[in-house]
Amino acid sequence: MDMLFGTISAPTFWKILLFVHFSLAVALLAAVTLQSAAILMPVRRAAGNFIDHISPAPAASYATLVVLLYVPQALMGAWIYVKYRTYVRIPMEGFRHWWTVGSFEFKEHVVTMGLALLPAYWYFWRQPLSDEHATTRKWVTLFLAFTVWYSFVVGHVANDFRGVGS
Amino acid sequence: MTQALDMNERPVQRGRARAMEAPASAASASKLGTFVVAFGIAFAILYTICERQNWPLFTYHPAVDRWNFGMQSAPPEDGPPMFWYGWVVLSAAGAAVVGLIATMVSVRWLYRATTFFCVLAALWPGFFALAGVIDERASFNAEFLRSVWVAGIPALLGAAAASYFVSSRWAQQAWTGWLLFMPIGGLVILGYSLNQYFLK
Repeated sequence: MDMLFGTISAPTFWKILLFVHFSLAVALLAAVTLQSAAILMPVRRAAGNFIDHISPAPAASYATLVVLLYVPQALMGAWIYVKYRTYVRIPMEGFRHWWTVGSFEFKEHVVTMGLALLPAYWYFWRQPLSDEHATTRKWVTLFLAFTVWYSFVVGHVANDFRGVGS
Repeated sequence: MTQALDMNERPVQRGRARAMEAPASAASASKLGTFVVAFGIAFAILYTICERQNWPLFTYHPAVDRWNFGMQSAPPEDGPPMFWYGWVVLSAAGAAVVGLIATMVSVRWLYRATTFFCVLAALWPGFFALAGVIDERASFNAEFLRSVWVAGIPALLGAAAASYFVSSRWAQQAWTGWLLFMPIGGLVILGYSLNQYFLK
């Protein structure tokens, strides 16, 4: 780390990390939202015409991507959380931004619960998909989508207080 | 001729045929399925308990880059302590142990035990909150009701009754349902505990 900070300043390093965290969040948000949409909205297509060639990605195809994005995203968030606790939250409390502090505290719980369900999520999306667990699969996916959306919005608000471009 | 085909996520003909080849109850039949479901349920319960009781496996002091075993407060000059890592690691380790145990017991015991612990996890905070309301409104001194252990007695009895009286079929059907109810219930408790921030 010392060698790295010899090349770039510590604030720049954390801002790069935060930007990567944001980029991963956008990718994860897209994947989990598309998967949720695929589950919630039955896609019908007309057989025997050109629309046949435009086949929507099945919801199952997003599962591995969601797991591969969720885990590093949570780990990166856990890393940046150190900086948040010392560099962001203390002035946030000083300025009495209690709603932002509370929402961010809740975010850590929301992400943790999402992580807890991730092994089951991955398991229920394994091929061949079991009809028996279709309902559980659907709700676990929607729960994960909620955790990602909530974390994204709250993280964005915290970033606006003290982060990239603030 | 245009024919509408259902492109919903439910496996189509070929997938259905493959699904038929798979065990009838994948999660209940495979050890991996049992582990991941038990892990998810146990993690949600344990994390909520660890957070509420403040039982981290370790504490991190970011300002001075120091790790301490267990819950360790520090002088103000050492900066704010971080317990979240310790809660997560302790909950994950505990949930992994629960998951492993779940793969070893019989399916019948697994469903009964899950019903017992999940009902207990739901009733305990419920009775504790009720005790608080009674203590506030009662004309007599009901301070003793504020004890978390007092609330545990009816919760324990209720959980025992529920796990004894529910049918095996219901316990089996509810098993994967707990996977969602426990994290949501945990978030309700954890969210309520943060009301100090939202009511300031």
